[in-house]
Amino acid sequence: MKSLTNINATSFNQAVAAAQQASEQGQSVAFSGGGTDLLQQVKDGTDAADVIINLRSVPDGRIIESNGAGVSIGGLVTLTEVSEDPLVISGLAAIAQAAGSVGTPQIRNVGTLAGNVTQRPWCWYYRNGFNCFKAGGEECFSVNGENGQHAIFGGGPSYIVHPSDVAPALVAFDAVFQVTGPNGDREVSAEDFFLLPITNPVRENSLSENELLTGVRIPNVSANTVSTYHKVMDREAWTHAEIGVATVIQRDGNSVQDAKVVLAGVAPIPWRVQAVEDFLTGKQISAAVAQEAGEIGIQDSQPLSNNAHKLPMTSAAIERAILSLAAG
Amino acid sequence: MSELTRTGLEPLNTIGNETARVDAVERVTGQAKYTRDWKLPGMLYAKVLRSPHPHARIVSIDTTEAAALPGVRSIITHEDAQVVWGSGSVNGGRQYNDPTKDATLHRRYIFNNPVRFVGDSVAAVAATDRHIAAQALTLIKVEYEELPFVLEPEESLADGAPQIWPEGNLCPDFRGELNPMVSDIGDVEAGFEEADRVFEERYETSFIHNAQMEPRCALAHWQRDKLVLYTPSQGISNCRHDTARDLGLEDHQVQVITKYMGGGFGNKNQNQDADLVAATLSRRAGVPVMLEYSRREDWLGVHGRWPTVQNYKIGVKEDGTVTAMELRGYSGMGPYRKNSGGISGMDAYGCPNRYREIHPVYTNRTTSGNFRAPSEPHGFYGVENMMDEVAYQIGMDPVEFTKINMRRPTEEQQFTNYSLEEVIDDGVERFNWQARRKVVPGSDDGPIKRGAGFSFMMFRAGVGTSSAIVRVNAREEYTLYVGVTDIGPGAKTTMGMIAAEALNVPLSQVEVVWGDTDRCPYSVGESGSRTTIMTGIAVVEAVQDLQRQIADGGMPSGSDVLIASASPTPTTDGKTRQCFGAHFVEVEVDTRVGSTRILKYTAVHESGRIINPTTARDQIRGATLQGIGQALHENLLYDPKTGQPLTPGYYRGRHLTHKDIPDIDVHFIEVDDGYGPFGAKTAGESGIILAPAAVANAVANATGKRMTSLPITRDKILGAMA
Repeated sequence: MKSLTNINATSFNQAVAAAQQASEQGQSVAFSGGGTDLLQQVKDGTDAADVIINLRSVPDGRIIESNGAGVSIGGLVTLTEVSEDPLVISGLAAIAQAAGSVGTPQIRNVGTLAGNVTQRPWCWYYRNGFNCFKAGGEECFSVNGENGQHAIFGGGPSYIVHPSDVAPALVAFDAVFQVTGPNGDREVSAEDFFLLPITNPVRENSLSENELLTGVRIPNVSANTVSTYHKVMDREAWTHAEIGVATVIQRDGNSVQDAKVVLAGVAPIPWRVQAVEDFLTGKQISAAVAQEAGEIGIQDSQPLSNNAHKLPMTSAAIERAILSLAAG
Repeated sequence: MSELTRTGLEPLNTIGNETARVDAVERVTGQAKYTRDWKLPGMLYAKVLRSPHPHARIVSIDTTEAAALPGVRSIITHEDAQVVWGSGSVNGGRQYNDPTKDATLHRRYIFNNPVRFVGDSVAAVAATDRHIAAQALTLIKVEYEELPFVLEPEESLADGAPQIWPEGNLCPDFRGELNPMVSDIGDVEAGFEEADRVFEERYETSFIHNAQMEPRCALAHWQRDKLVLYTPSQGISNCRHDTARDLGLEDHQVQVITKYMGGGFGNKNQNQDADLVAATLSRRAGVPVMLEYSRREDWLGVHGRWPTVQNYKIGVKEDGTVTAMELRGYSGMGPYRKNSGGISGMDAYGCPNRYREIHPVYTNRTTSGNFRAPSEPHGFYGVENMMDEVAYQIGMDPVEFTKINMRRPTEEQQFTNYSLEEVIDDGVERFNWQARRKVVPGSDDGPIKRGAGFSFMMFRAGVGTSSAIVRVNAREEYTLYVGVTDIGPGAKTTMGMIAAEALNVPLSQVEVVWGDTDRCPYSVGESGSRTTIMTGIAVVEAVQDLQRQIADGGMPSGSDVLIASASPTPTTDGKTRQCFGAHFVEVEVDTRVGSTRILKYTAVHESGRIINPTTARDQIRGATLQGIGQALHENLLYDPKTGQPLTPGYYRGRHLTHKDIPDIDVHFIEVDDGYGPFGAKTAGESGIILAPAAVANAVANATGKRMTSLPITRDKILGAMA
């Protein structure tokens, strides 16, 4: 039986220090927010942690607050809290909706914002213990295997899809990710936080060893901004997005001044479809415009042998997300 | 809200009234003791090492290091524990037939070499706690020689396919001969000649797991030469007999105790290897041993419903009369044939010319076995989608087409009663079939399309032998001893209600003793939807015997008791006895994203007299939900390159969650045909038979595209709409 060390951290800084100390002793470290997924991974053997730094004992990173510059959400705020927060619901609807769509109520009550954003992929090869890129190997088994749920954008050499619902919504709101680590604090834009497998086939983000996501900061949005998270699932609960579309639109009447469209479930990172954003800018939202946006949204797709069905699904989801934001 | 309605018979004194389960309080307050809740002094915990390969020869096993781990008390492997697991490899699926087990060509042991699927058992360890047992597994060194493997039934029969058994990959029949299962009625060639049109199509269904809540477990405890086995079993008498036979004991040397269990759906019929492994470890260690499977082990190590390929050919006249039916099918059994591999459904039609040839085939996937109506849901899906398509092709309403072609009583084969037409007509009206069905499939404008589907069935409701004992004391307290376990349908309550009715006393005056082979007489087992009928008849006859004793000598006095028993062998006088059902479902298919939603579901059943409407309705609803899952969600995917399973468990299996569950209206047409206890028939399996067929027919009606494989996932819908 694998024996584990659990360290109840008292602060983010102390968590990082404890992690650093364990690493120096050659141990494998994992930070645990809610632990809903991590502990199962340890049991399954897909995470090799010897030391778990428990963040549930950390008092920091637990509030959602607004100041002049925007809204800050602590990394340890639960998904339920995010989804029910009046500030988030009113100004950042896509984030509230995305958080409220995760897993089950039980998972949302325990799972944290940072944990959701940094969770490992749910690829069935990785999770069944295949020695794939994500497990440190040198192969993506989906390429010549069962790839019905795999990436149609941004794939190669790994074709996982990023599992987070909240992450695309954060990208769509230009969130800034706050990171602390052995070399101190740093901030990184949501877009730069996530890494394509071509850059790093093992990890999905730019957190380096013993770095920790402590929170996010969402810059102020203009009053005429509307947003939505539109999600398609294989059942009504306890599953990940087949496709999720986080859409943030700044409108003047029904005219789009600025748009952000970011997809979940179809690429190894939250996938920004800039061609759609560019197309929408200056347009009046209509059924025809939304339909064309959906078609543009899959222009750069590269389906695998068994996932071409994701193309029409992605088009439809983009179209519906945009249309749902048409003015009154 | 789901509705329950009934027509036909008035409730009796106890029977027919909505009745809470007699053990409801124990269950919901946590007092009910399940197998894993038992703790015996000195008890060890066991774990099983399983094959990581789909097919491999074990060259060597070295347990030295594992045995040296402090706390490890016993390790067994194929080298030193050659225990036959009879019910794990029964040719022809004759689960309680010892001669068949003796004749089997391909015997399964608790540990096998070669190992033949990912999850096949290799070794087991008993240790002082679970963690030590788990650690010991990692210290067992196994050298494997990997062998080529095959996953798909048809590929398995092709020339040059990897050979899983020396005689090849076609499962031998129950005589040990290498023949497919053939049923040839009438003259099929003449039937096709006679037809105006002939239709052919291939249907496929996937492997799905029983997905019962409680994984397999067993606690074995030897008292000198007697084995006491606490195990979740769907038939304690059968489990005792199988276990005794496999361990070379007499039946009386085994006591099986199943007090409470968390479901089975056919996964816990007979005995399972967990029982034999725990018993073997316990005997060696000299103390009780608890063996618990993880969810993943249960998913991959026990069994589920066999995947099938069904090639149909149907000849029909322009007037809708079917003149010939042919099925050539393949069933993937995994590497051990634990059940028949049957594909039922064609027998529900009266067509005089029917040919069916089914090849049960070995593969290197996990084993296939019993799952609630083992041969039916996939077969009824295939044949009733085939027939539904034929009906629309010739421009007929599938209901009218069915009425022309469904099996009816004949001079040669009478039924105890026949209510299929009434069941269908009732469903047509309740569901408003004519309004919901699209005469032209797929004709809704726009991407969100609605449509309706229908299915019908008849299913065995035969009578047979079982036993019961009833006792009364001077205070008029009755005790009923029945060897039932409660896998969900509420057998304890049902048996108590039947006894109370026959005794003409309130249910509260009857105590039911169950789930212990040393205290209860033989019962047929909670499989084949048989307990209510067969043990129910024994209860009625035991009560009649008791009433005769009372009539002769009066009630007992003082500390005396009267005891009566019965082991009847009832018959149906040469008639066939069937339950009947028809399901109607309306779906909405979002053809842009490939999602299917159920809008309305109407289930009409004739299951004879309903003993307890509360639990009977829940049986129909639960089974229907499983069938919807089979139709739309579940599939155990394997990686074709490595033979590894990819989607075990509730998350990957995409089973329905509470949020996915539609309202299901259940209507019983009650009939007393004079057989069975107060006229009761089968109910437990009947709902699942109908659901996949009805749902798939509804999807076809909505989209205008026939879905020829299950589950009907979004990739298939979007592929068909592209």
